[in-house]
Order: sequence, then C-alpha cells, then structure tokens
Amino acid sequence: MTAVLELRNIAKRFGGLAAVKGVSFTLNENEILFVIGPNGAGKTTVFNLISGFLHPDEGAILFQGKDISKMAPHQTARLGIGRTFQIVKPLPGLTVRQNVMLGAFMHTRSVHRAEEEAGKVLDFLQMSHLSEFAARELPLAALKRLEIARALATRPKLILLDEVVSGLTTSEALALAGLVKRLPEWGVSVVGGVEHVMQVVMKIADRVVVLDYGAKIAEGVPADVVKNPTVIEAYLGPKYKEIAG
Amino acid sequence: MNGLLTGALYALIGMGLALIFGVMRIVNFAHGAFLMVGMYATWLLFDLLKINPYIGFVPAGIFLFGFGQLIYLLLIHPLRNRSHFMQILMTAGIGLILVDAAQLIFHADYRQTNLDLVNRNLHLGPFTANAAEVLSFGIAVALVVGLHFYVTRSLTGQALRAIAQNPEVAPLMGINVGRIQGFSFALGTALAGVAGGLLLPRLYLFPSVGEDFTTKAFVMVVLGGMGSMEGAALGGLVLGLAENFTSLYVGNQWALVVDFVLFLVVLSVKPSGIFGRQRA
Amino acid sequence: MRAFFVTFLNMLKSWKSWVFVAVTVALFLVPGFVDNNYLVQVLFRIALFAALGLAWNIVGGYAGQLSLGHVAFFGVGAYGYALFSELPSMSKWLALLLAALVSVAMAALIGSIAFRLRGPYFTLATIAFAEVLRLVATNLAVTGGAIGLTVTSLFTGRSFWRSFYFAAVTLAVVTFLVNVWVSRSRFGYYLMAIREDEETAGAVGIDTTSCKLQSLLISAFFTALGGALYASAFQFMIPDSILNIDISIQIAIVTMLGGAGTLLGPVVGAMLLLAASEAFKNQFKESHLLIYGILIVGVVLFLPEGIVGGLRRLLQGGKKGKAKPSVNAPVSIPSAPAGGVA
Repeated sequence: MTAVLELRNIAKRFGGLAAVKGVSFTLNENEILFVIGPNGAGKTTVFNLISGFLHPDEGAILFQGKDISKMAPHQTARLGIGRTFQIVKPLPGLTVRQNVMLGAFMHTRSVHRAEEEAGKVLDFLQMSHLSEFAARELPLAALKRLEIARALATRPKLILLDEVVSGLTTSEALALAGLVKRLPEWGVSVVGGVEHVMQVVMKIADRVVVLDYGAKIAEGVPADVVKNPTVIEAYLGPKYKEIAG
Repeated sequence: MNGLLTGALYALIGMGLALIFGVMRIVNFAHGAFLMVGMYATWLLFDLLKINPYIGFVPAGIFLFGFGQLIYLLLIHPLRNRSHFMQILMTAGIGLILVDAAQLIFHADYRQTNLDLVNRNLHLGPFTANAAEVLSFGIAVALVVGLHFYVTRSLTGQALRAIAQNPEVAPLMGINVGRIQGFSFALGTALAGVAGGLLLPRLYLFPSVGEDFTTKAFVMVVLGGMGSMEGAALGGLVLGLAENFTSLYVGNQWALVVDFVLFLVVLSVKPSGIFGRQRA
Repeated sequence: MRAFFVTFLNMLKSWKSWVFVAVTVALFLVPGFVDNNYLVQVLFRIALFAALGLAWNIVGGYAGQLSLGHVAFFGVGAYGYALFSELPSMSKWLALLLAALVSVAMAALIGSIAFRLRGPYFTLATIAFAEVLRLVATNLAVTGGAIGLTVTSLFTGRSFWRSFYFAAVTLAVVTFLVNVWVSRSRFGYYLMAIREDEETAGAVGIDTTSCKLQSLLISAFFTALGGALYASAFQFMIPDSILNIDISIQIAIVTMLGGAGTLLGPVVGAMLLLAASEAFKNQFKESHLLIYGILIVGVVLFLPEGIVGGLRRLLQGGKKGKAKPSVNAPVSIPSAPAGGVA
C-alpha cells in the first residue's frame, strides 16, 4: 500500500545553518509515528515543512503519493493534512462547539452539518460537556483537546501533533495520549512531535524517529530506540552511553 | 520659509501624539480637543489677566498636564486591559465631550487676540517673516529639542522608551507602568495644550478649532513611524512644508487634502513610516 | 436547495419568526396613530439609523473591524442618487440602485487598501478616506461645492414623511434579515473567527481578506441606500454635513451602545440614542452631541458589550451555573507492546 506520508532526503537551511538535513522516513496508513529529539533537533521545522509553512531546499515530501513540497498551508490543509500548534490558538470568544465547527466548515457550507460534525468529534474527545463554554474559559488540558478537535473536524487523513502534551500534568498527558491512540479508528494517521514526555511516546507510538541537530539518528519501535546508545548520548550526553546494554 | 515655521509647531503637536501612542499604543482621538482646551486656557489668561500668550502658554501647559493626568486616571487607566478598539472609542468620546462642553460654555463665537507682535515683520537678510511666527517657532524648537533630550537622557525618559519597546517586560525591570503611562499621557496632552497656546495669537479661537489638528497629528505620526517621536517631529516639518507648497501653487482648499493623500500613500506603501520599527 | 426549504420550514415553526412578522406589521401601522409631522420625521430617523447600525454591524460587529469611515458610503449614496436622478429619463428608484452600486465599488477600493492594516491603523485609514471624500466634494463643482446640492425627493405630497418612514422601516427590515442570514451562515462564522483572532482564522483555512472585503461590500450597499434616503428626505445637502465624521461615529455608537454583533443591538441603540438626542436638543440647543460623547464614555467604561450584549451575558451566566470546565476523563491506554521508560 502507498505510504500516507513520505519524506525523501529533506533538507532545510536558514542562512548558513542547516535546520534539517538528509531526513527520510515513511508513515504508513493508520500508523502513529513520533518524531523525537532534544531541543533544537529540528522537529518543528519538519512539521512546518510537511504542512507547507516552509518549503524544503532539497528533497521531496509526498502525501499519498503526491508531491506536496511546494504547497502553501491552506493547500495542504485542503488535501487532508490537519495540524495543531505548539502554542494553542483557540478563538477565545467563541464557544468550544463553534471553534470545532470552523474545522468542519472546510468541507461543508451547511451550519447544520457543521454542528453535527462538531458534536461527533467532541463526543470522541470526551468534551461534549464543554460544548457551550467560551474557549477563553478553558484550562490548558481542554484547550489542547480543542486544538485536536478542530483539526479532526476537517476530516484529515493525516494529523500533525506538535508538542501536543507539553504543559500538561502527567495524568492529563496520559489521558490525552489514550485518545490520540484511538485516532486511527477515524482513519487518521498521526505524526506527533515531543521533546520530553517519553511516557506518552512509549505507550502509544507504533514507531519512533529520532532527530539530533537536524539529522535522523535512529528509527524503530519505541522499545528499541530507547536502548539505542546514539539516542541516549544525544539526550543525556556521552557519559551515559554506557547505560545502553 | 513659512512652511518651516508652521512645521515646528506641528512637530510639537505630533510629538505629543507619538509619545502617547508609543508608550500606550492608544490612538488619541482627543488630541486636537486638548489643543483646543489649551488654547482656551491661554485665552482666558489673556482676556482676564492680560497675560501675553507667549508667557501664558506655560501655566496653560501645566494646567493641561494636570488635566491630562486626571483624565488618564478616571477614564483611561481602567481600560488598560481592554481591546484597542475600546480605547480608541473612549478617546473619541472624550474629544466629543470636550468640544461640546466648550461649545456650551463659550458658545460658537470666534474669538481672537490682537497683539502687536502679529502685525510686525522681521527682516532677516533676504527673508521676511512675521515676528509672531518667529517667536512661536523659537519656542517650539526649544521645546522639541528639550523634549528630545529629556526622553533620551532622563531616567523617566528611559522608562518611557522601555515601555514603548516591550510593555510586557518593562514591569519586570521595576518600572511602574501605570504611573509612567499616566505621566506620558499627561505630558502628551500638555504638549498639545502648549501648541494651542502658541497658536492663539495667529488663529481664530472656536470650539472645533482642534479637529483638523487631530488629523494632522495622525498624519505626522504615521509619516514618521508610529511611536517615534523624532519621526513625528520630522513628519511635522514635512507636513508644514507640504501644506505650504500646496497652498501656494494649487490653492488653499487643497492643503488639507494633501494631508490625507500623504497619509494614505504612506499607509499603503510603507505603513511603518520613515523611521518606523513597528509593524502596522 | 433542500437545505433552503428545510430552513424555511424551521423558520415557520419558530416563534421568533412570528414575533418578527408581528412587530414589522406593527411598525407599519404606527404612523396611523401619530398626528405630529415632526414626530414622524423623528421616527424616520430612528428607523434610518437602525438600518445604518445594522449595516455597520456586519463589518464592525460580526467581523470586528472598527470602521469610522462609513459616512463615505453614506455620502456617496447621497451624492450618487442626487446626480443620477438628474439624468434625463432616469427612474428615481434606478438612481437609488446605481448610487448604491457606486458605493459598493468605492468600498472595494477602500477595503483593498484599508484591510491590509490592522487595529487602529485600519480605523485611521477609514477616517482618512471619508475625509478625503469630504474635501473632494467641497472642492468639485459637480457636487455643488461647499454651497450644496438640492436633491429631488423620492416622495411628494402632504404625508411624505410618512412615506419616508415606510421606506426607512423597509430598509431596516431588509438589513435586519441580512444580519439574520449572516449570523446563521458559514460566512458569519468566518467573520466571527476573524473578529476573535485573525491570524488563527487564517491558520484554520479562512480567506480572511476575501471575507472582510465581502462584509464591507454588503455593509456599504445598505449604508449607501440609507444615505440616499436621507438626502432625498431633506432635499438639500452640503459636504460638511453629509460626509461628516460625526455620522460615522453616530453609526458606530448606535451599534455599540445596543450591542455589536447582536441582532437587536443596533435597533435598541438607535431608539435609545435618538430619543436621548431629541430630549437633549430641547435643553441644550447647541451641543446635543454632548450626549453622544457621554454615552460613548459610559458604554466603554461600564457596558462594553452594549445593552443587548450585556443582557445576553447575564442570562447565559445563569443557565450554565458555576461549573468549572475540566477534562479529567479517565481513559484507559491500551498496553504498549513492550515495557517502557515509564
């Protein structure tokens, strides 16, 4: 089957600095892939490249077999790539339901149908009891879910979750992770990016890609990656290399 | 030549507005109204106490300073967390009240002072200039320069610029933002009032005399770059010259149009103004 | 198409629609009970400003773009009507339509420049455009210059104020319906998103420039009709009055006092404001605008959502209760294939 997403030798430079170089990986249908790496590794750059906020200097990005390397964000959104942002961006005065409806409006003109879609998505994310609250009244954990809800309402094939659990307490993060694990039930494949909260990655990722200084240094199932000496060195420094078995 | 003279006064008005906008991000629609208040205050001093406007502008300025502080405390400070939209509307409302209150108290009559100075002309080499204009030019330039040094050298001035550059970090540096903002608002309005006082000998005085000046002030501030006091001063000079040229070569009525055309051109082409650092 | 009929049927079932019809009918019957011609003129102005407020509401209330230059459309409508109706064999009603279309074209021009700016810059640009128009009108011969222009009236006869009142009410009803449509359509949601956070709205895939422009065009159309109506009622106009920034401020205040972004807000605002203005006029001949200034200050300080907005918030607060929103849903996570660092 065609991979949902394929990055072929992607490179992106800012001035003289290579933020990302020689990165390749594939995402299969209904897979949950996490991109991890220490601060500055290039995770957000990769997200921006996939969604179209940035364009690669080298290499190609293919979405369902189609080259999307040069597309603008609203074009990738229409093709079926949903995205959440690290710093949540709700529309403060609108209700939770109205926020989600904005996502649904990408595919329908009908207010009625948008309301239905929003209802279904909010149910799935266990937020229905919050439908009528104004977004500005919500705590962070709820806002993170709202971001996902809005992206989900656009009926994406792929959803990019950049630091979706950052800022949450451990229990909040795990609760949200459980929901993310179920996204493939909606036919959505997931690429997530995290820096710190490894528990989440371990529990829900099918595969992991590790970046360091813009290059891919490891790839595999979580259990393997975590024992990889190069990965440990990247995160903790050379002294800890011996921890690896 | 004339343009330069007028330009200096404009510069004074523009700097006041730039000060307020730079520190508070408030678009002060009442600026012209404060100018009008300053003008009436100076006129009252002249009419009742026979004080020459070229002296009287000082107490008028001080009065405007206090008045500005009061308005800030009562009406503007409570809005500091609201949207800019609301703040703009508030200043527009204040302006309306001031103008109409003036109309109630003073009625719509045109008043003027008749000073000898206004009728005398000085001859400086090849140039002939009106004595009154030269005097107000001199005072205005002194004030503009003084203000510039104050803002760049004094502690308060630095606090002002700190707030203008980063309103969120400034309090962390120990700056009492509220008090400084109140101070800059008061200073800005005082400047407008002083300019009004200096204009008194040369213009007719009536309640809506300030309206046009509000718009001119905006044009200056946008020309020079929102928040840049030096820019606004320069903008004032440019405006004075531009208006003068238009008056001479095209016709008096089109002078005002030049203001707006300049305004729109700058907004479309380089919204951040000549010296601007901030995004539009 | 089916959606349209479904909505229509829903409307017939809703009690609000019937109240609306009843009120509209009642409004038309009012002049029958009023003898005083001046009073009918006042009613005409109330209805007119309700219409103007409702028109402004689309761009200022829903889209959140504070335009203080709407008098530009008002004036262009007025001058357009005055000039077009002078053309040989031109129907007065066609002149009205043409004037409104010219105003829409003007809105396209103004919007394409002004909407590139944000916040106070946008407001300043709208003011600037309106003022340029005023100065141009003062200096051009065809618009009569500062001396003014006489305008043919739409209606004649003894009870022409009554006819104008009916026309104004019709305009208000139509703009009200347009507001209803906007508030319930996807377009309306897009506008509200832009109002809340324009950048995020763009990130969610909304074409913010196009939406803002459309809202301005709609608003300009109805504002122009109002201007033409006003001019033809008073039959004489000078640039200093028909293109005066005061009118822009009045329109904005009418809507903000009543409640921007609500349906009834502009109507309530118009009634209150004009009633207050009339009362004040009898006391203080020269400065009846003082009341506007005081109201602005009062509304901004104490009632920023306007009367209707404030009421709505009170009622909603009661319904929701004091529950704090939280998402502590216990969700079980399917166990991972191997142990982890947890």
